[in-house]
Amino acid sequence: MFETDILLQDTREILGAVPVTLGMALLIFPLSAIVGSLFALVEYRRVPVLRELVMVYKVILKGVPMVVVIFLSYFGLPAALQFLYSALGIDANAHLMPNWIILVIAITGCVAAFQAEIIKGALNAFDTGQSDAAYSLGYTGSQLFRRVLFPQVALTAIPDLTTSMMVIMKALSLGFAIEVIDIFAQSQLTAALNYYYLEAFVIAVVIYMVIAYIVTQIADRLEQALRIRT
Amino acid sequence: MDVSAMIPELLSALPLTLAITFTAMVAGFCLALVASTLRIRRVPVISNLVDIYVSYARSVPVVLQLFVAFYGLPLLVALFGAADFFSPNVAAMVGLSLYHGGYLSEVMRPAYLAVDRGQHDAADSLGYTFRQKIFRIVGPQAIHIGLPGYGNSIIYLIHNVALVMYIGAADVMATAHLIMERDYNQYQFETYLVLAVIYSVLCLIAWLVIRFFELRSPMQAPEAKATTQIRHALISNA
Repeated sequence: MFETDILLQDTREILGAVPVTLGMALLIFPLSAIVGSLFALVEYRRVPVLRELVMVYKVILKGVPMVVVIFLSYFGLPAALQFLYSALGIDANAHLMPNWIILVIAITGCVAAFQAEIIKGALNAFDTGQSDAAYSLGYTGSQLFRRVLFPQVALTAIPDLTTSMMVIMKALSLGFAIEVIDIFAQSQLTAALNYYYLEAFVIAVVIYMVIAYIVTQIADRLEQALRIRT
Repeated sequence: MDVSAMIPELLSALPLTLAITFTAMVAGFCLALVASTLRIRRVPVISNLVDIYVSYARSVPVVLQLFVAFYGLPLLVALFGAADFFSPNVAAMVGLSLYHGGYLSEVMRPAYLAVDRGQHDAADSLGYTFRQKIFRIVGPQAIHIGLPGYGNSIIYLIHNVALVMYIGAADVMATAHLIMERDYNQYQFETYLVLAVIYSVLCLIAWLVIRFFELRSPMQAPEAKATTQIRHALISNA
């Protein structure tokens, strides 16, 4: 049956994993946004060969479940890196790479495919008349990007980027398959010690929902604040 | 490694994966219909509960939802004095149905709300009953808007079915792990590659089916025709 006495102690233990999880999520988010923007730019500009490569990349990573991608990089990445090391003549052991780096790389790869879609949508919503106007006023390309394009595209993309932030938070829970301890893995470890499984999982559920609520609130505030100024 | 021997063994577990997927698809669809109706209609207390349910389904990792279903459902059933009938498979079906229902209701509700308000008014002024209005006017337009989102949610569902092995359902992933352990974990990378191909094919099939319906949608044809006509007109002018 559901034990309420254990809740406080479990909560304290599981909350200990929150900073690590948030840290990894905050690392993955900008990385995947940058990679995704590059992909979106390639598609927006219609760069000949790269465009097809990005297409293939997106098709593959969207068709394969994230667990499988994580396992593939867990078994494939160190070996590939080792091969690279020996080819370049560097004396290092790639198999000592910590698991959390593998997880970060795998999730960045997966989420970048989704970020590319989000940013492409935001780019398409951008009115090309504005870039024409900017060019006619003598803006250079970087000025156009910094002063006209980026502020508007970023604003349009905020709601979807918030969703992808939550996708990253959720994806990190798959890290327990390769022994990375996040909120979910910590709740499982806690439960394994005292056999109160449901209690630990309910606490984790509440923590995730609270984090989601806070992230959404921050994004809403940010969007409102930015929208007033423009 | 013998791929030709491995693939039939992996495919022998496919029926369970598909069964879980289809159950979650059907049950999730019904749940989503109920949830979106309640959220649009704003019934005082119930709608708030449904809001919480939807945010649970969307913000909690699916692995965690599966574990909650696996450990929580027997407790819930025990409250009503029934015997515990939850095998991992049933728990996986219920857990994924709840996830899919919550996720899908966030596709359905915006699709319904995106239909122009004037369409409702026009149907009402022409004396359509509520049912006729939904089936003949609002429904087809909402389906057209919501179909891409529905396709995405089906693909996410297929991805998430790969997680049911963690609560002990013997699906394709679990079988792959068995095969790997039998080979003393020598060919892990290769086995996961085969898995990746299997899941890609599943997603491709789902995508093709959705795409077929998207192209067949009665709203698609006139639009596409109209734009090509406009383009032809412009070209002839130029």
